[in-house]
This record gives sequence, C-alpha cells and structure tokens, in this order.
Amino acid sequence: MTAKWSDLGLRLSGAVVVAVMVVGLVALVIPYDPADAVSYDSLLNPPSAAHWLGTDGQGRDVLMRLVKGTEAFFLPGLMGGLIAVVLGGLAGAYTGYASGPLRSALVGLLQLVDTLPRLVFIILLCTIRNPSIPLIAVVAGLLFVPTVATVVRRKVEALASEDYILAHIAHGFTPARILLHHILWLQCWPLLVRQAAFVFGYVLFVETGLSYLGDYGVQEPDPSWGNMVAQVKDLAGAGAWPWLAPAVAIVVTIASFLAFGNLVARKGEEALR
Amino acid sequence: MTAPLLSIEDLIIEFDTQQGRRRVVDGVSFSVAQGEVLGILGESGSGKTLSTLSILGLVPGRPGVVSGHIRAHTDGGEVDFLAELPSVVSGGTAERAYQKDDRRWQRIVQRTMKPYWGQFATAVFQNPKQSLDPLMTIGRQLDESVSLADPSLDRAAVRARSVDWLRRVQLHDPVRVAASYAHELSGGMCQRAMIAVALAREPRLLIADEPTTGLDTTVRAEIVGLFKALLRDRRRAMLYISHDIREVLFLADRVIVMRHGKVLEETSADDLRHGRGRRHPYTASLLEAADLPVGEAA
Ligand SMILES: Nc1ncnc2c1ncn2[C@@H]1O[C@H](COP(=O)(O)OP(=O)(O)O)[C@@H](O)[C@H]1O
Ligand SMILES: [Mg+2]
Repeated sequence: MTAKWSDLGLRLSGAVVVAVMVVGLVALVIPYDPADAVSYDSLLNPPSAAHWLGTDGQGRDVLMRLVKGTEAFFLPGLMGGLIAVVLGGLAGAYTGYASGPLRSALVGLLQLVDTLPRLVFIILLCTIRNPSIPLIAVVAGLLFVPTVATVVRRKVEALASEDYILAHIAHGFTPARILLHHILWLQCWPLLVRQAAFVFGYVLFVETGLSYLGDYGVQEPDPSWGNMVAQVKDLAGAGAWPWLAPAVAIVVTIASFLAFGNLVARKGEEALR
Repeated sequence: MTAPLLSIEDLIIEFDTQQGRRRVVDGVSFSVAQGEVLGILGESGSGKTLSTLSILGLVPGRPGVVSGHIRAHTDGGEVDFLAELPSVVSGGTAERAYQKDDRRWQRIVQRTMKPYWGQFATAVFQNPKQSLDPLMTIGRQLDESVSLADPSLDRAAVRARSVDWLRRVQLHDPVRVAASYAHELSGGMCQRAMIAVALAREPRLLIADEPTTGLDTTVRAEIVGLFKALLRDRRRAMLYISHDIREVLFLADRVIVMRHGKVLEETSADDLRHGRGRRHPYTASLLEAADLPVGEAA
C-alpha cells in the first residue's frame, strides 16, 4: 500500500474510531428508557427531521438506539483491550527477561490459554453460565493475553543484545526501568495499540454476535447493535433502516478499529526504525 | 603505591565453537590504580573487549568458561567478582561459565553485579549511535544517570545537572542537544553524549572500548582530547582500549599490549613515548608503523 492510501486509511479509520469513542462516552450520560421510547403512532417511519434514521418496529428512534447501543460494547471493549495489553505486556516483559520456575509456570499457563479456541470457549461459557457482556469482555481480554505476551517477549529477547540495552545495564539502570520504560513503553507501544484495537473489535464482534443470536448478550428492550440487526428476522422487508443502520455500524466500526490499529502500529514501527 | 582499584589476575575466557573449545583470553593480568589511565593496545580480535567487558559481567556470546580473579576495591572492601559467582562448570573450583544465552546465568550475574554497575564501573562503546536509546531524548537518558548517581535531586536539579554534563563534554547548545534524539546528532556528538551519560553516573572506573572507532579523523582527535580534559582531575580511573597507538600514548599513564588473548608487555606510557627501555617486537612494529621512536627492540 502506498503512503498516500495508508494516510487516507488512517484518517478515515481514525475518524470512525474517534466518533465511536465520542458517541460511546456521550451514550454513558444520556438517559434512555426503552419502554418510554415505544410509540405506536410512528412505527417504521423513514428518516425524517424528527427521526434522522427513522423508527423501528416499535416506533423507537433508530439513531437513539444506535447511540445507546454503544453502551453494550464500549466500556467492555476498552476493558478487554486494556486487560490484554497490560497483562500481556507485563507477562511478555517478565517471560522475556526472567528465569526460574515461576517463569516456566507462567510460560506453560500462557501456552495453555493460547491453545483455547476463543470463540468456542466464550460460547461454551455462555451456555454454562450466561455471563454478562462485561464479564465476557474480561474473558476475551484474558484470552488475548498470550498473543500480546508472545510479541512483547520476542521484542524483549531481540533487544536484549542491543548496544544501548547493554549500555543501560552497564550504567546500572534497573531491569524494571529498562524493561518497562525503555522496552515495553517506548519500543512496544505500536504493537500494543494494534492489539488493543483488535481486542476492542473482537469484543464488539462477540457482543453484537451474541445479542443478534438472542439467547445471550443484550436482551430487548435494551439496545445493542446486535439485537437491532436481529429485527431483520421480523421485519420481512417492511423497512430497512432499523437493521441496516446498525449492520453498517458494526461492519464499519470493526473494520475501522482493525485498520486504525494496524496503520497506527505500522506508522509507529516505521518511526522506530 | 596504594592498592589498585581493580586487578585482574590470570583471566581465561573460552568459547565453545563448532571447532571445539577456543581460548580467546589466555591468562590476562593487569591492574588499574585510583585515578589512573591504563591503555590497552592491541589489534582487532586480540581479546581487549572480552577482557574488559568481563569486569562488568557482560561477556557476549554462547556458553563458555571464565576463570581467574577480577578483584575490585569498593567502598565495602575488596570483592572478587568471579568468586562471587557460583561455579557452574562442574569440577572446576575457579572456573565460571559465562552463559550469556542462559537466562539463569544472566540473572545470577545481574544479582551479583547490580551494586557495582554504574557505581564501580561503566562503559562507553564504539558505535555511539547504537549506544543511546533511539526513542529517548539525550536529556532524559542523562537524567536517568544523574538521578541514579544522586537520588536526592529533584527534577529541575536533575535536568540542570544533565545540561551541565552536556556542557562539560563540550557540546555547544546543550539545551538543544538535551532535547534531541540520537538520530538527530552526528556520531561525534552522540559519543560526547554517551560519555556524559556514563560519567554522570559517577563511576570510579570508566571502560572506554574503542570509543573513536568509526568516527572521522578530526572528530576522533576531539574525542580523545575530551577524555584528556575530563580525566585531568584524576577522580576517576579509565581503561582506554584502542588499536591506535597514538591515542593510547596520548591518554594513558601505563600501557598493556595484547595479542592473541595474551598480554605481551606492560610498560609506562612515558617509556613508550620516548623510546626508552626494551620493547617486545610486536610493540616495536606498532611504534614503527606509527612513525614513533622504537628505542631498543628486545
Ligand atoms: N561469542 C563469541 N564466541 C566465539 N568467539 C568469540 C565470541 N566473542 C568474541 N570471540 C572471539 O574472541 C576474540 C577476542 O574478541 P574481542 O575481545 O572482541 O577482541 P578485540 O576487542 O580485541 O577486538 C576474537 O577472536 C573473537 O572472534
Ligand atoms: Mg573490541
């Protein structure tokens, strides 16, 4: 990809990421009562000045539900990304540096978690315990810890023989400082950004997927982009807006987060060289 | 004479290679006194780097054997770094395996050497650009050194001292240099910055391993001059390692000449400068090649 296209991609995906963040934050403070919102006078209205994206089969404003629907994945997605990156980063730094039984045990545990098929594991968890979306996000974050740990560990091992790391050791800079600041923070941020964005997208995918399927995830009348799309099952062509808007939002948001994470990371890695 | 700051006795370093075990440092002994500059002269591959980096426990490469004594006089009395390290090679009493690739070994070295790194000794390498963190400004790296040397300083005082160090290594516009990254500076400027980072740590011994290699001729002369100026107060000892006899003669009080992992001779720099005393033929050839008076070849 040429620099020009990747710049454009970065801007576009960045705009979506920022928009989702802003909407996600706004949604947290907007009051919304799904029962109140029902209006049988205005079922399946097309877009208008009053309802920019029209209304759904129960006369509820689609835009409002789209905004409020971010609540289902926004904080969980951030939390999952943060868990994966923080725990994965620390585990990677530790296993890339330390030796001894504790390291071996941690490496074994990471390998074990890494072998779990993530989606199957989460769906199995749902059938057994039907956990809340935030809990699923925590689990998703944990399931990505080995991935993050591996890339960080490789980086730590690769940098260990660099002159400047040797010089830092000779000067007596502490291992914690060298590992956490010089390597994890300064050298690994692009790949941490990439992973965090990926896990956010993953949580969004899992949440909307479960909510779409209906037995798990967010249940009507609470809004989720997933259960909004699920209306397609009942509408039978009566109106496209109620499910098309959230469907597009899901695809565009996931694609943007993945692209943004990759492009930022690539730019960062180019700058490191 | 006072007790030496550092004395190395009968240092042997061996590497396991495909052709079997190779002895690359073969019974090296030397010592440095407080405030003294010891020049270590030798062609490439003669074992200079290994002999000196082993002082810091930073021998690179695959598992090998290190034996001998590396005695340091510290505030807490005399320690033998090698004796402090547990014997890894079975059977040998003095044999120590340096296993750079073995994490466990590295962690043992780390535990042993931690109190001495930076405080007792630190090093300046060749490749000044690679010796600085590419992602951190020169100023912030210096800050780390300064605050390790004197933890009582607050942020502003640390930065003031960092800038002062940049001035002492004769960098013009130290404030701008402090805000720069290594890739924004020339090789010579990076080496000055590196010297500042090392000295700001206030080590008692500075190991300078071919610090001018790879720099332009005029810049090399400047760096050598800088070392001379910085060491004038005799507060620190230095091991100055070079393959350039002129640099060594300019800086050193005493000189050892190394070849094939052995010390061929040890002499005062004055004798060497003025062609006094008997010379080892190899040293004589080095003097001759540099158009210096040889005196009497042994
Ligand atoms: N990791 C290693 N494995 C095998 N041989 C090594 C290793 N490191 C250095 N050597 C050998 O040890 C010898 C001395 O190296 P060195 O101390 O770097 O020499 P100098 O600094 O005088 O140029 C060289 O012949 C080099 O090839
Ligand atoms: Mg060398």
